[in-house]
Amino acid sequence: MTSANMGIPSAEFLASVRDALGRADAPPENAYEPLTDDLATLENRAIEVRERIAGELPELSRRLGETAALRGWNVTRCAGVEETLDYVVSLARRLGATSVPRSEQSVFDDVPVDAALAGVGALCWPAVYDGPDSREGIRRRLADSSMGITGADYAIAETGSVIVLPRRGLSRLVSVVPPVHVAIVRQSDIIGTLDDLFALRRLEYHQNGQSGTADMGSYLNFITGPSRTADIEQTIVVGVHGPREVHMVLLDEE
Amino acid sequence: MAEVVTRQFVPASQAAVKDVQLRQALRRAGSGFDGTRREAIAEVSEEVWEGWREQARKIKEHTIGHLDYYLAMLERNVAAAGGQVHFARDARQANAIVSEIARRNGVKTVTKSKSMVSEELGLNHVLEANGIDVFETDLGEYIIQLAEETPSHLVAPALHKTRGQVAQLFAEQLGVPYSEDIEEMARVARVALRQKFLEADMGVSGANFLVAETGSLVIITNEGNGRLCTSAPRIHVGLAGMEKVIPSLQDLAVFLRLLPRSATGQRISSYVSMVTGPKRAEDEDGPEEFHLIIVDNGRSRLLRDPALRESLYCIRCGACLNVCPIYQRVGGHAYGWVYPGPIGSIVTPGLVGVAEAKDLPNASTLCGACRDACPVQINIPRMLLHLRHQQAESNDENERTSSDTDKLLARGFANVMSSPLLLKLGRTVGRAVSKPLAKSGKIGETRLPLISRWTQARDLPVPAERSFRQRWRDELSKDGR
Repeated sequence: MTSANMGIPSAEFLASVRDALGRADAPPENAYEPLTDDLATLENRAIEVRERIAGELPELSRRLGETAALRGWNVTRCAGVEETLDYVVSLARRLGATSVPRSEQSVFDDVPVDAALAGVGALCWPAVYDGPDSREGIRRRLADSSMGITGADYAIAETGSVIVLPRRGLSRLVSVVPPVHVAIVRQSDIIGTLDDLFALRRLEYHQNGQSGTADMGSYLNFITGPSRTADIEQTIVVGVHGPREVHMVLLDEE
Repeated sequence: MAEVVTRQFVPASQAAVKDVQLRQALRRAGSGFDGTRREAIAEVSEEVWEGWREQARKIKEHTIGHLDYYLAMLERNVAAAGGQVHFARDARQANAIVSEIARRNGVKTVTKSKSMVSEELGLNHVLEANGIDVFETDLGEYIIQLAEETPSHLVAPALHKTRGQVAQLFAEQLGVPYSEDIEEMARVARVALRQKFLEADMGVSGANFLVAETGSLVIITNEGNGRLCTSAPRIHVGLAGMEKVIPSLQDLAVFLRLLPRSATGQRISSYVSMVTGPKRAEDEDGPEEFHLIIVDNGRSRLLRDPALRESLYCIRCGACLNVCPIYQRVGGHAYGWVYPGPIGSIVTPGLVGVAEAKDLPNASTLCGACRDACPVQINIPRMLLHLRHQQAESNDENERTSSDTDKLLARGFANVMSSPLLLKLGRTVGRAVSKPLAKSGKIGETRLPLISRWTQARDLPVPAERSFRQRWRDELSKDGR
């Protein structure tokens, strides 16, 4: 699918940049620190990050809840699966939801939302394409839904953000199209800082690179609170193009 | 390229300061943004903040200093992820590339998330001339697109509009009942654009950062429009000035801390989207094609001059606009092109040519508030002075700002100021001459030659009865200090 460069050849463009800088065609004299990391360094760093997180987990979870609330999430701490399901069901009831799309993530193996919502007459369905024609159909169903549920690939205590990565089951559109988004965060999803996130993702990227398929995945998305704007008279309004209401369920595993 | 009316700075700013609604809008926005920015800094402590600024500046210094190297790395890694990088020398070329991508794919509808580069290129007009419907989806951009205006602020494009003006615009253009309720207006925009997001063939976005290590494009929005533009259509085209690249994913953390805090005082924006190539075979969601267009359009001119190079460190947060006493009076449109305010007064002459934008480097009090606010410590006042100096010394008639009379006056002023005797004489004569013309110690607007150019914009004070030196000798130093 890659077509040819339609602008000027990159060699010509880069030569003009070099000329403006008065630089020879050579790497920086002093190698740039993060880019010199080899796989062992990245692995060690990731292990350090994971160990530190494990040691601080109750505190990180507390901070995550605090920061997320400040950033506009409705934060609920649930002691187990039952409580989580109760919360999701009560939300669906309040919204009168009949169709609830969800991403296809491992969290739903532990938290069976489909069955729980079916109990109150709402159809909870994984947003998965099952044929070439279903793309438009799924989008229409998403647009008509009043709430979407996802897990979190990571949840960052520093910023109160939930991270979603690509996978089968449209987690991106499930999180942004319906007016209400619920993110279920397990203890194991919690990390401390932006630096933690990028250390872990860099390892993953370069590990993939080893087997010849260096890949970041097509997207990495942060969600931090509801969709909002202040473009008219600096007055904050929530729910512009994304959800007006977002819920973070912190699942404290039994 | 977008129309350049930078030569009109003086009349445009004179009109702007008389616009009461604009003054209100600017006052509200300026104090609002700057207040929340200061709170966000206080929250992490001044010391931590300074550490971040230092770190970010070092990253930018290194990257811009080796820009060719990192652009090449970016190109390789975008290609490895299945995307395509195109390099454009100027606006015409960049527009041609986007048009060609649209033509090849039979694109009829484009949704756009906010991109200052696309404003710079004047892309919308070119696409529309090719029969393509273009929809801006950021609420502020949507408003100014309906009004057929240009952005007046880097992060709040419709800052100059009051709610009444927006209500009027929506009623006229969208046929909805007139309502000044801001929530209702946001709902109207949501409804109008929702279907467009899902129908559009092509999404166009800007880029806040490009990560060379991974070939990723990063956009930061609050509304969710950026995420929809880059995920729903079949094709995603990213537009970026060539200075947007950073080396490593690890470098992104500090910029995600600095940019939202500096722009709106938010600790982080609602949506940070990092896009790396098109959707993979196993993904169900996302564009089939990803194109990244890297634009020079005059930037290599800024790169070439070591004294102006640091203007390319700018991350377009708008903090310098919110603290600038000039921007706060005249607003963004007076500057006459896409990038207003202190940083715009450096970037604009660089991109459109010094001769086109002679007034901009002079539209500053050199108070230094912009430098203090800048999250990457760009020394804006130093560069403004550098540009003024260049203009004064230029051999090109079109670039020079100072007449021979100006030069003579400046030299005379320098002589007087460096000689105590002449200064004393000048003060005495100046006071004798000016006192009869003054009202309560100041000369206001006058037609007198020489001083009329000064007094058309500000009062000229009469020299004090007793000079500072006299007062120092007689009173202030009495206690022996």
